[in-house]
Amino acid sequence: MSILFLVLRRLVTAVPILLVVSILLFVALRLLPVDPAAMSMPPNATIADIEAKRAEMGLDKPLPAQYAIWLRGAVAGDFGRSIQLRRDAGPLVAAALPQTIELALAAMLIASVLGLGGGLLLFHLRGGAVEAIGDVGTTLLLSVPEFLWALLFILLFGVLLPVLPFIGALGPQFIVPRVTGFLLIDTMIARDSGAFVSALAHLALPAAALGIAFSPAIMRVLRSSLLDVYHEDYIRQARLRGIGEARILLHHALPNAVLPTLTLMGVQFGFLFGGTLLVELIYSYPGLGNLMVDAVRNADLPVIQTVGLTYCIVVLMIGTLVEALVLVLNPRLRGR
Amino acid sequence: MNRVLTGGALIALVFACALFAPLLATHDPNEQDLLNILLPPSFAAGGDPAFLLGTDSLGRDEFARLLFGARLALLVAVSAACGAALLGAVLAHIAGYFGGWIDWLIGRAVEIWLSFPPVILSLILMVGLGTGADKVVLAIVLVDWTRFCRVLRAEVLVTARRDYVAAARLAGFTHTQTLLREILPATLPLLITLLSLEMGIAVIVEAVLSFVGLGVTADQVAWGQMIADARTSFAEAPWTLLIPMAAIFLTVTGCNLLGDGLRRTLDVRLVTGRA
Repeated sequence: MSILFLVLRRLVTAVPILLVVSILLFVALRLLPVDPAAMSMPPNATIADIEAKRAEMGLDKPLPAQYAIWLRGAVAGDFGRSIQLRRDAGPLVAAALPQTIELALAAMLIASVLGLGGGLLLFHLRGGAVEAIGDVGTTLLLSVPEFLWALLFILLFGVLLPVLPFIGALGPQFIVPRVTGFLLIDTMIARDSGAFVSALAHLALPAAALGIAFSPAIMRVLRSSLLDVYHEDYIRQARLRGIGEARILLHHALPNAVLPTLTLMGVQFGFLFGGTLLVELIYSYPGLGNLMVDAVRNADLPVIQTVGLTYCIVVLMIGTLVEALVLVLNPRLRGR
Repeated sequence: MNRVLTGGALIALVFACALFAPLLATHDPNEQDLLNILLPPSFAAGGDPAFLLGTDSLGRDEFARLLFGARLALLVAVSAACGAALLGAVLAHIAGYFGGWIDWLIGRAVEIWLSFPPVILSLILMVGLGTGADKVVLAIVLVDWTRFCRVLRAEVLVTARRDYVAAARLAGFTHTQTLLREILPATLPLLITLLSLEMGIAVIVEAVLSFVGLGVTADQVAWGQMIADARTSFAEAPWTLLIPMAAIFLTVTGCNLLGDGLRRTLDVRLVTGRA
């Protein structure tokens, strides 16, 4: 199976999933006891004004017709207008998305380094008295969700030992022209090293909180797949040939053991992307999560719908990417 | 086995706190005492023995709020986990046992659910459902049934191919009898393990939703609400943040240890593998 085929197949299956998701979102949000037409009018509007607005927004039509109108707009890139901010929902999401992707990527990097390193360490300690401690340690780590880490890091590194900033994504003294929307890249384009360092410092705590929360699951799977791989004949064979233990681990066992770990990481990264919402909220980080929470608090239906769909698309894309990566790294799956 | 005992003991402790909250608490959890705001715990310097764990920014007793928060956390954890388990397990058994189009349908539903980050899905559901503890439970059930369905379906699929299941059918068992008396006992250990882990997840979700302000109503005492309240005061009063955080951590750890221990104890394959 070629990678191209896999990506194409995933794209084809993603379309009905997105359609169903958008229908579910649409129906769920239309069942709300709020009236978008009344909300988008000034308080002194008359009932007749509101009725006219309802007709203009298409809200007097039956639900399927309303959905058809929304879908026709969405396909053309028009996702409706934010009731609260009075701006188009599409550009609002496009402005917030790069920040969230930056945060998620940094967190994934931290989760991967901690997870793979920790997994190797746990495996190295197998059979010893320390193993039990590592075992209980990962159980305890698994019990701390990202939002507790985020709060703890604020207490530790923001208040107790004030070394890192914990509000926003950039120091207020910096103004960086927006090119890509990714702050780290934009500060580099602007050749503003002070702003770059500030952006990095602002990213450190939220990314660390998110990354550390998702690392213990990776540690566990890597450890147990390494244990499985070490039962294989080729490991014994490698030992008989006199290959050193470190080389066996890194060159013979790890490439095989990392495959199930990668599959799990794909699932984890889907969750991690959702976890950005809470971390963004706690650190007032201007991304998709804060946009979503604001929209939810104000019942801003078009924005909720668009942001919800965006999360869904990103999760499906992460899944496809990981599957493609597993295919690249696992020669046994190729040519099938 | 140690895990089961430790986890069980932790959960029992939280249960006791919840059960005896009115007896243990010396203050009403919602009673404000604006002359005594942000008092440190009684054992720390400047603490008042009347307030065991200090007070929050409205002078409410942290200890009382902690105890009454345990009630809500456990209520949500137990009912949401049972609800999600019931819905997920029923669908998993139907899908795995009957196969065919119904399996396809349930499989696609799980796929659609999983393309959503759980946090986002529960937030959207809470917009639609409104606030309140019962709504939180419903949202968790509607989001997390897939955790049970996915894992259990695979187990049912394996069990349904066993000879004793075919024998039961030949002996004249109906589908319902076969499912309840032959398949369910085989999948029950996994179900109980997942149930214990789900309780931990539910505690976190309830805290998160209350933290965002979409969980319980304002007059209910919740750990997530305590954290949200502490956000304005944690710089001068870190304990207002640490106390509810510790409570959530201990409860979730208890559930995870219990679930992990049960998995090791109940899994027949693991037990025989060790012997």
